[in-house]
Amino acid sequence: MEGNAVMREKLIVEGLSHHYPDEYTGMDIHALDNVNLKVTEGEFAAVVGPSGCGKTTLLNILAGLLPHKVGSVRVDGHEVKGPGPDRGVVFQEHAILPWRTVERNIGHGLEIQGLPAPERKRRVQEFVDLVGLTGFENRYPHELSGGMKQRVALARTLCANPVVMLMDEPFAAVDAQTRITLQEELNRIAIATRKTILFITHNVDEAAFLGDRCFIFTRRPGKLKATVKINLPRESRVWKNAVADPAFTGARDEILSLVREEVRDDDG
Amino acid sequence: MTTVSAPAAPARRDRKHPRLHRFLHQGGLELACVLLGGLALWSFLSHVVIPRPDRYLPSPGSVVFSSADMLWKGLLPDFVTNTVWRLLIGSGLGLGVGIPFGILLGLNRTVSDMFYPILNFFQSISGIALLPIVMIWWGTSEQTVIFVILYTVLFPISFNVLVGVRSIPRIYINALRTLGASRLQIARDVILPGALPSIATGARLGIGFGWRAVIAGEMLAGQRGLGWMIFTAQQVDLTAQVILGMTLIGIMWIVLDRYLLRPLEADTIQRWGLVQR
Repeated sequence: MEGNAVMREKLIVEGLSHHYPDEYTGMDIHALDNVNLKVTEGEFAAVVGPSGCGKTTLLNILAGLLPHKVGSVRVDGHEVKGPGPDRGVVFQEHAILPWRTVERNIGHGLEIQGLPAPERKRRVQEFVDLVGLTGFENRYPHELSGGMKQRVALARTLCANPVVMLMDEPFAAVDAQTRITLQEELNRIAIATRKTILFITHNVDEAAFLGDRCFIFTRRPGKLKATVKINLPRESRVWKNAVADPAFTGARDEILSLVREEVRDDDG
Repeated sequence: MTTVSAPAAPARRDRKHPRLHRFLHQGGLELACVLLGGLALWSFLSHVVIPRPDRYLPSPGSVVFSSADMLWKGLLPDFVTNTVWRLLIGSGLGLGVGIPFGILLGLNRTVSDMFYPILNFFQSISGIALLPIVMIWWGTSEQTVIFVILYTVLFPISFNVLVGVRSIPRIYINALRTLGASRLQIARDVILPGALPSIATGARLGIGFGWRAVIAGEMLAGQRGLGWMIFTAQQVDLTAQVILGMTLIGIMWIVLDRYLLRPLEADTIQRWGLVQR
């Protein structure tokens, strides 16, 4: 059915373009050019592109933090006009509040929604356990490692139960070992929660490992260059196996060569 | 899959006299030596060197005697409570006006650009320089002294809160907006707690300035209180009382700072890891 098909597409971006004046020079920057993409329910979509291709601009527009004039962005059929709890965002840096404990950070979205305390506590515990922070409920962020802080940020977003989860290079600031663990954890959590996720990264391996599909962006002005499907069952995605699986390596190599074409020679 | 367990809190080491131990380790011994040395020098000067010590430099003993005398007559407790009350009321009003004002300035650049030069102008006019005009308005009254304290506290607190609000990472506000928070919820959950370190610092600074202002204010416009006591004692050559007043001012500030202001700062801020000490 037509209506059904539309509802299965949780995030629809059509003809999205964006310009903004440079903060210092005032010069017009053409960040996004006629972007069209759709993310279906429960899908994990990765967005890859060279630095400065407008990935973060795209995310800010989807989050409603940056207003768009050209094109349309719809979440669950509703046009995006500003930030809202239907879209949860996990930011690159630690955006959790240092004056709230782990528990109170994770439950913050529910607190804002006005959920009564006992129900909130139950829900929060569920997500504390899901992200592996059991025993740390009453700690403050400065007592946690970088990876654990990102787990808190992830749990906070999940706990508010958004329709679509937007992630902006959430593992870029953690060390390589932690990143691998967090990627496997995120895969497990995505399976468990069946969330619709748009994940922005410049890391090709990460995109191929996590994504069901990968959108590759051109350099600025950012356009959708290609879409690569990764035919690796989510359940079998662990790094140990993936590196030897042609479904993963093939997709990764394809994404890599597409991205490489966009990296200017003078960038190295 | 993750099995990270919370590390146990470090065990407190048992000591017989932990307070004494801490005191000695934090330079308490050195402090005691300096104090005793100072007292000895003072006594020596007063008894041996200075002529007419009662007028120029009474000995520690006569200062203690003078305080005992004033305690006996009930004057000292009366003056101390007077001064403390004025400080509390004046500072309370100053913080009550200064904190919201600072937040407003921090949130809105247009408003702060407008007020900044005016604030800077008044900041250079110390409370004591303002006293004459206030005395023309209200004479030597309670109102005059309290107004000068309020005025003195207002600037350090406003400036600190302004800077504090501006230094709150934008990402905290954005994160809350994406969780669906209203402006009021953002103010309550991000702006206020985020500015708290600067509110605490500004309050401590402001009350410190206010403590000086109350003494100065009482000297010129008071009818009671420690400042008034020092000033009137000078006029009748009660030098021991002047020294007593000065000593009390210093000691009371140390007590106030150490047992009220610092713990307030430490309790909230250090626990959040916002200030690394």
